[in-house]
Amino acid sequence: MNDTDIDADATDRMLLQRMSTGDRTALAVLYRSYNGRLCRFLSRLTRRTDIIEEVINDCFWIAWQKSGSFHGDSRVSTWIMGIAYRCGLKALRQHGDESVADDSVPEGRTPAHDPDEDRELRDWLSRGLDHLSADQRVVVELVYGVGHTLDEVAMIMQCPVGTVKARLFHARVKLRNVLPSLAGDSPAHELRAP
Amino acid sequence: MMFPTNPARDCARAWEAMPWVLQNSAPREQGEWLANHLASCESCRAEFTQQSRLQLAMSLPAELPIDANRGLKRLLARLDAPAPQEAPLRSRAGNWVTRALVAAVLIQALGLGALGVKLWSDDWTPAYRTLSQQPLPVPPGAIHVVPDATMTMANWDMLLRALQLQVVGGPNDVGAYIVVPKNSTSTERHTLQQLRATRGIRLAEPVTGTP
Repeated sequence: MNDTDIDADATDRMLLQRMSTGDRTALAVLYRSYNGRLCRFLSRLTRRTDIIEEVINDCFWIAWQKSGSFHGDSRVSTWIMGIAYRCGLKALRQHGDESVADDSVPEGRTPAHDPDEDRELRDWLSRGLDHLSADQRVVVELVYGVGHTLDEVAMIMQCPVGTVKARLFHARVKLRNVLPSLAGDSPAHELRAP
Repeated sequence: MMFPTNPARDCARAWEAMPWVLQNSAPREQGEWLANHLASCESCRAEFTQQSRLQLAMSLPAELPIDANRGLKRLLARLDAPAPQEAPLRSRAGNWVTRALVAAVLIQALGLGALGVKLWSDDWTPAYRTLSQQPLPVPPGAIHVVPDATMTMANWDMLLRALQLQVVGGPNDVGAYIVVPKNSTSTERHTLQQLRATRGIRLAEPVTGTP
């Protein structure tokens, strides 16, 4: 954990402490701070924006209720991502299989500032992630997107570190085999294991 | 720190280290070792470039049209909502259990009711009698007859046919039969006399209402 992470966690802890006393301003600050990363994290599970909005609110509803019981055993971000992950799985169970398949973003609703390079990168990534399972996408997001360690990912997903390692390994192998060709290159060699 | 220079093992080590070096959580020595390895290994260099691009792509903000302010407004409204609003969510989970239990109780009640009606309507009497119960009615003209032990079955049958009697009960513990006349042409008194006069009949007495 670098200095930036330490500072961010200290701020988050302070906000949680204020939330435990009923401070709604602290809740609003934490909500806006996490909204973007939770949107992206949950978008690895489903593309349904209504479900993502619902899960984010469920997550912060729980965080509001439980803020007083947070004892600092982990980073606040690990705690919140864990709640969001469980809320996400629960929402997917309630909504069934319909949620993951809906990959439609309405025309004209994508951010106008999205440059062509980012668009190309998104498409490249999206086609690569299509080859992964939901668990593998979540692990890749938590490691590469959010920057969590193996231990933190295991805590978020409530599974052994070995399971996280295996999911990350298989996800990387799949991506290594498909991503170069998606970018127009040919893979250096078909990888089974490094 | 020096690591052994086994190409296959080094590439595996480099593969393991890449994500953590990219997110700056790897120890400084591990980062330095990876940099040295990448300088001499084209395959791992290509992989690291790919991993860097993956990290960059994963770091792009979500392109989903989700308005944080709108979501926050809904959350705050939810906090202000009365607590019972949460009750339906909790009861929904146990709904099917409650319904199943209610259905089971109803089925049991219906079954017990049907059984009760059936027992109530049936003119059912037990296959036994108690001492407190009224004795069965004695047929008119019934006679207790005790044949002698030496009397054969053939003689007994012949006697019954001759006197037009039929056995309606017995033998009891003392070997007494209850016989009644098949028709009312002969009187009880006459029948008694004939029975008593028959050899092999030890006793012939009319059956009275009380023992």
